[in-house]
Amino acid sequence: MNPIDPRIHQALDGDIARESLPPELRRVVDRLESAAALLAAAVPPQSAGLETRVMAAVRRPAPSGERVRRLLRWFATPQAVTFRIRPAWSLALAAAIVLLTLVPADERGPALGEHEGIAQFVGRFPDAHSVHVAGSFNDWRTGTIPLEDRDHDGVWRATVVLPTGAYEYMFVVDGERWVPDHWADRLVEDDFGRENSIVIVRATWR
Amino acid sequence: MRPGLILVLLASPLAAQSERDRLEGRVPAVAIPTVDSLVQLATREDLPTEPLVQKALEGGAKHQPAVRIAAAAQAMLGQLRDARALLVRAGDAPPATAAEVTTIYAALKRGLPAPVVERIVAALPHEPRGSALHAVADLATHHFEPDSAAALIIDAARQGLRGERLLDVSTAVLHEVQRGHSRAEAVAVVRRQLPNVPSPPKPAGASVAGARRPGTTALPPP
Amino acid sequence: MRGDPSDTEVVARVLGGDREAFGLVIHRYETGLLRFATRMLGSRDVAADAVAEGLVRAYRHLASCRDPSRLRTWLYRIVANRCKSYLSRRAVGDVPLEEAPPVADSTDNEASLERAEQLALVAQALARLSPDKREAFVLKHVEGLSYQEMAAVTGERIPTLKMRVHRAREALLQVLEDHA
Repeated sequence: MNPIDPRIHQALDGDIARESLPPELRRVVDRLESAAALLAAAVPPQSAGLETRVMAAVRRPAPSGERVRRLLRWFATPQAVTFRIRPAWSLALAAAIVLLTLVPADERGPALGEHEGIAQFVGRFPDAHSVHVAGSFNDWRTGTIPLEDRDHDGVWRATVVLPTGAYEYMFVVDGERWVPDHWADRLVEDDFGRENSIVIVRATWR
Repeated sequence: MRPGLILVLLASPLAAQSERDRLEGRVPAVAIPTVDSLVQLATREDLPTEPLVQKALEGGAKHQPAVRIAAAAQAMLGQLRDARALLVRAGDAPPATAAEVTTIYAALKRGLPAPVVERIVAALPHEPRGSALHAVADLATHHFEPDSAAALIIDAARQGLRGERLLDVSTAVLHEVQRGHSRAEAVAVVRRQLPNVPSPPKPAGASVAGARRPGTTALPPP
Repeated sequence: MRGDPSDTEVVARVLGGDREAFGLVIHRYETGLLRFATRMLGSRDVAADAVAEGLVRAYRHLASCRDPSRLRTWLYRIVANRCKSYLSRRAVGDVPLEEAPPVADSTDNEASLERAEQLALVAQALARLSPDKREAFVLKHVEGLSYQEMAAVTGERIPTLKMRVHRAREALLQVLEDHA
């Protein structure tokens, strides 16, 4: 492929007038424009079949597969939701939530939705008084997911039901010290000079 | 039935507050107008807004100064644009969904080179790529060459492994390395096993029984 | 033509529930989109599939077309991506080229035959270009898009697109001169 006189490109790009070119370059411009005109003129006959085909699809309701795929994508994306309720109901609802989240539904554990899985958080903090986990699964709230060290061996644990997907998180020790999960393989910069860990919650863990 | 009800309550978008409301009280007040305007910009450009809100909430939770939070959100908007441009280059038909843009953003954030991400996107045109990209990133984190890692994961996908099962491929490779194989040997061993790589062990029954759902804030301010 | 609704009006009608109005969109743009896809894929039948899929996608995602006055560019972008998808699924190699139908000309058989031969030559040269350069040349010189419009269709920067168009021109010219 040989480079050609740049004025040919300039004329074809409309940067200079074709009339300003010497005759031999104008001939080259004409050749290329004729070639393009051939490609443009040889148009396939307007296909009535195409419009019929497309309109048939337009008139059909959206495939349920697409609806399900949209729903799956929504569930796979961490959704943080907060909502306001009347004060009169708030205490009752809070109590219900506490009851339902702390008391398992049965011996086998909570009934998981189709697009939920289990995330296990484990960290060794022998001198800690409290350890929480905060991340993109709970709007980075520091007090809502406590880890426990039931046997007082310095290893703190929590098992959490979450929608499937990937989340960034850190541990919060004693309410103030942010620590990445060093046992996690996946780390990513948090843009604040530290590193977050990443957990991938899978639907197959039930 | 009651846990199901909790799931519906937690997941209902109908109850979602506006993004600005989510930031108030959690992010330094001075940063909120900047973050809010970035969210509006992302909305206008059909880019995902949730990662921006999450980044601001994260900065607030970590007691970061307003200027740092604003800078992080601004940088993220540019990275989301780059992620969408990558999807276009890789041949995805528009419009790119928020989930797809976020997936690509996350892969690039994990350090995968853009050409490798493009290659995976192009090789899996009709399905979510999150697991495939994380699988490749997992191997790259352990110093596997990203192109070779991508080739293995793409091969696994072509042999019928889908979604989360692709993570099992990278896990299997890393196990082979732990057993003493070189990286090249580990890849070869797992390639021979495809598509029958082992699934991960399930968590112990006791820990699953104690699993909790995170409580979301339900109380209005006093 | 007086009385024809603008693209903005048509989009508003479709989004307002008048799905039959989408027929106007198809009618308006199918010729150009089919021509573009045929030059990209080398086969009219495959091009028809790509354009049909693209138009159905466009209908389903019409609400996300942020600027309906630029509907044309948005449609080209969807079809360009469909074409890329088709091309990436093929084994690496030349685009298969259908026999181009001779250009019908009832008055001068010799001239029409010569044009048909020239078209076959040009189409072959186009097929040998990489998909990126082929796309850039077709969008610029066959579909008549400006570089700004091409940037909106492809997501590429204008200097990149100019470079691809220039290289495509040089390659085509080489073929034409070799067979002159």
